[in-house]
Amino acid sequence: MRRRIIGALAGVTTTLFLAGCATNAPQDTWQPKGPNAQKIDNLQKPVFAVAGIIGVIVTVAIIVAVIKFRDKGQPIPHQSHGNPALEITLTIIPALILTVVGVFTFRTVFDLAKTSDTEMIINVTGQQWWWEYDYPVQNEFGITQPIITSGQLVIPAGTKVLLRQTSRDVIHSYWIPALNGKRDAVPGRVHLNRIEADKPGIYAGQCTEFCGLSHANMRMEAVALSKEDFAKWVANQLKPYTPPAENTLAKEGETVFMNQCIRCHQVNGMKRADGTPVIAAPDENVVSGAAPNLSHLMTRNTFAGATFDLLNKSCREDVWNADSESFGAKYLTGVTEDCLNQSDLRGWLRNAPAMKPMYANPALLASTGGKYRGMPNLGLTESDIEKLVAYLLTLK
Amino acid sequence: MFSTGSKYFFGISVLGAVSFAVYMLLIGESAIGATALFGLVAAAGLLTALVLFTRDGDAGEEGVAASTAAPTPSMWPLIGAIGAALLLVGTITSAVVTLLGIVVLLAALVEWTVLSWSERASSDASYNASLRKRLLNPIEFPVLAAVGLGVVIFSFSRVTLAVEKSVGATAFIVVGALVLAAGVLFSLRPNLKRGIVIGVCVIGAVALVAAGIAGLGVGVREELVLAKEEGHYTHQECGAEESEHFDKLPLEVISATASVDSTISLVDGKLVASVQGIAGEQNSITIPRSNPTNIVFYNASEGEYRLVANLGKKMVTDGVNEDVIQCTQLIPQGAKQLLTLTIPKPAMAGKPYTLTVPGLAGQSIEVIVP
Ligand code: HEC
Ligand SMILES: [Cu+2]
Repeated sequence: MRRRIIGALAGVTTTLFLAGCATNAPQDTWQPKGPNAQKIDNLQKPVFAVAGIIGVIVTVAIIVAVIKFRDKGQPIPHQSHGNPALEITLTIIPALILTVVGVFTFRTVFDLAKTSDTEMIINVTGQQWWWEYDYPVQNEFGITQPIITSGQLVIPAGTKVLLRQTSRDVIHSYWIPALNGKRDAVPGRVHLNRIEADKPGIYAGQCTEFCGLSHANMRMEAVALSKEDFAKWVANQLKPYTPPAENTLAKEGETVFMNQCIRCHQVNGMKRADGTPVIAAPDENVVSGAAPNLSHLMTRNTFAGATFDLLNKSCREDVWNADSESFGAKYLTGVTEDCLNQSDLRGWLRNAPAMKPMYANPALLASTGGKYRGMPNLGLTESDIEKLVAYLLTLK
Repeated sequence: MFSTGSKYFFGISVLGAVSFAVYMLLIGESAIGATALFGLVAAAGLLTALVLFTRDGDAGEEGVAASTAAPTPSMWPLIGAIGAALLLVGTITSAVVTLLGIVVLLAALVEWTVLSWSERASSDASYNASLRKRLLNPIEFPVLAAVGLGVVIFSFSRVTLAVEKSVGATAFIVVGALVLAAGVLFSLRPNLKRGIVIGVCVIGAVALVAAGIAGLGVGVREELVLAKEEGHYTHQECGAEESEHFDKLPLEVISATASVDSTISLVDGKLVASVQGIAGEQNSITIPRSNPTNIVFYNASEGEYRLVANLGKKMVTDGVNEDVIQCTQLIPQGAKQLLTLTIPKPAMAGKPYTLTVPGLAGQSIEVIVP
C-alpha cells in the first residue's frame, strides 16, 4: 500500500515536472522577446538558482534529520535552550542573501516603472471579457485620428510602447509574458505598463486577474510589426468606411447589421439611408458600456477576447509560424474569404453565449437593469447569418 | 540570552537595518522608501527590546492545582440569547438587526468560552480571574472604548445637526474644554474620591446621550432640510459668477485624487493638460468611452475659476435637446478640484467635446472619445 502511494506520488511529480518542458508554450515566462521581459528574466534566473540550491539543501537536511533521528526507542537527548552564536549567524546569512536579491529586485522594479523614454502611447481598457485598445492621435506614427481596436494589440517592433491601462467594470490584469510582467487594470485608475518587442511576431497572453464567468476566455495577443508594416496598418485603420456595393449579399448584410448589431457595435463612418451617422449605444445595452468596435474586424485574426480564430487552420498556421521577415506581409493580408474560419464566426452569430459563457440570458438581467455582460443570442436566421458573414468580410 | 520571541524581532531588525543601508547607498530613489524601512527598523527594534525585557511575558504558571469549584454566575448566556433573538428578528426586519445579532452572539460566545475555560484553569479563583483578564481585557477595552466613542459622536452630531451652525461650533468648543478640564483635574488629584469621579463621568455621559436624543427629536435644522429637498448638493451652476448653492458646499475629493487620469491646469491665463504617462503639455486628452475618468482642475492663476466640461447635447424629450455640462466649483488660486467624466458616445463631427473656463475666452482642451 505504502509503496503504491509513493509510486503514484512519484509519477504525478514527474509528469508535472516534465509538463514544464513543452516546446510550443507561447506563454512561457522563460523566453523573453523584448527588453522589459529580458530584464525580468535576468533577475529571475539567478534568483531561481539561488532559491533552488537553498531549497535542495534544506529539503535534504530535513529528510536526513527525519530518517536519521527518528524514534527508535533511544533516550531523549539533552535539551539545550538556544545557541546565540549559531542563531545570529543563521539570521545574518539569509538577511545578506535577501538583501542582495532585494537590491537587484528594486533596481529592476524602478527600471520597469520608467516612463520618460516612452515613444508611443496606447490606452488599454479591460472589460468582461475582452480588451479594447485605443491609440490617441500621434502624428509621428501617422495616427492622425484616434484608432480603436480590440483583442490584438498591434505595435511597432523596437519601439518603447507605454500602455495606459484601466478597466470599465472589475479588475483585470494585462500580461504578455514574452514582453513584460503583468499589471492590473483597475476601474477608475490608470496603470502604466511598458512593453516592447524586439522582432515582428505574435505574442500571446491572458487576463491574469480572476474577473468572472469567462475569465479563462479573456485572452489577448500583442502583434509586433516592422515600422514600415506598422505604418501600413495605421493607414488601413484610418481608411474611411466603404459601404458594400448595391444589390450584393453584403449590402443585405449591412441592413441586418443596422437592425441587429449597431445598438452595441460601432462601425466608424457607417451612415443610415437618410445620411445620419450611426452611433452605437453600448452604454445602454452592456454592463461595461462597451462592445468591440468592428470597423476593421477582418484585419485582426482572432475574435471574442482572442479566444476564437478568424482564420481557418491552415491560414492561421501560415501567419503564426511565419518568420519575422515574412510575418508582417502575411498579417497585413487580414482575413480573406478563403481563409475565414466560417464555423466559429457563424457559431458566434448563431449563439454567442454557447461558445463563450456570458451573462446574456434576457430572463436573468433584473439585477443589471436589462444590460448584458457579453453578447446575447440574437436568434438570427441562417439567411441573416449568411448575409452578415458576407458583410463582416468587407470590414477590413 | 535571547528569549524565543526576541529572536524573531531581532532578525527583522537586522534585516531591516541592512536593507535600509543598502537602500540608502545603492538605490535611494524615494523618501517614502527610506522612511518606511527606517520605521521598520525602529518598530522591530522596539519590539525586540520589549520582548527581551519582559522575557516573552512568561509568568510561572506551573504548580497550581486543577479546579473543583462550581462555575461563577455570569450574564453572558443571557446576552448570547438576546443576540440569537436579534439575529432571528433581523431576518424579517432589517439586515442591520441581523448584523447586530451576529456581533452580540459572537461576543457572548467568545466571552463565555474564555470565562468557563479560565474557571477550570486552577483551584485558585483569583488566579483564574486574572487569567481571564489577561486574555480578554486587551480586546474588551478597545471595543468598549470604540462603542463609547461611537455613542459620543452619534449623540453629539445629532445636536450639531439640530442647532445653528455657529451654536454647534461653540457647543463643541465648550464641551471639549469641559472634558479637558475634568481630565486635568482627575490626573492632578489622583486621591480624589472614587464616587466623585464616577459621578462626574456618569452625569456627563447621561447629559450627552440625553442631548443627542433631544437633537434626534428636534430633527435637522431647516437650512439642511431645504438644501436636500432642492438638490443643491447635485445642482450645478456652471457660469463665471459665483453660484448661490453649488459653490458653498465643498466637494469631497481627497480620496479620488489618488487616481487621476489627467490634470488640467490654468497657468497665466492658459489652459494646459498633463496626462498621466505622457510627457509634456497636451492640448487634448483621449479617454475611453463609457469609462469613469478622473480629471483634476488646478487653478494656478490669480482669481477664482471653474472648469466646465461641454459634452454635447442630449435629448430630454422628443425634439428637445439639452446641453450636457459638468463643472467644478469656483476655486481660488492654488486649489485643485476633481471632475469625473463618463462619456458614453464619441462627439459628433465638427462639434468636439471641450473643457473650458468661463470668463476666459479662446482657451479650451479637446476631449477625444474614440
Ligand atoms: C447587446 C449587445 C450586443 C449586440 C446586440 C451584438 N453584440 Fe456582438 N458583441 C457584444 C459584446 C459585449 C462582445 C464582446 C464579447 C466578448 O468577447 O467577451 C461582442 C463581440 C462580437 C464580435 C467579436 C469582436 C471582436 O473583435 O472580438 C463580433 C464579430 C460580433 N460581436 C458581431 C456581432 C454582430 C454581427 C451582431 C449583430 C448580429 C452583434 N455582434 C450584436 C455585444 C453585442
Ligand atoms: Cu479579465
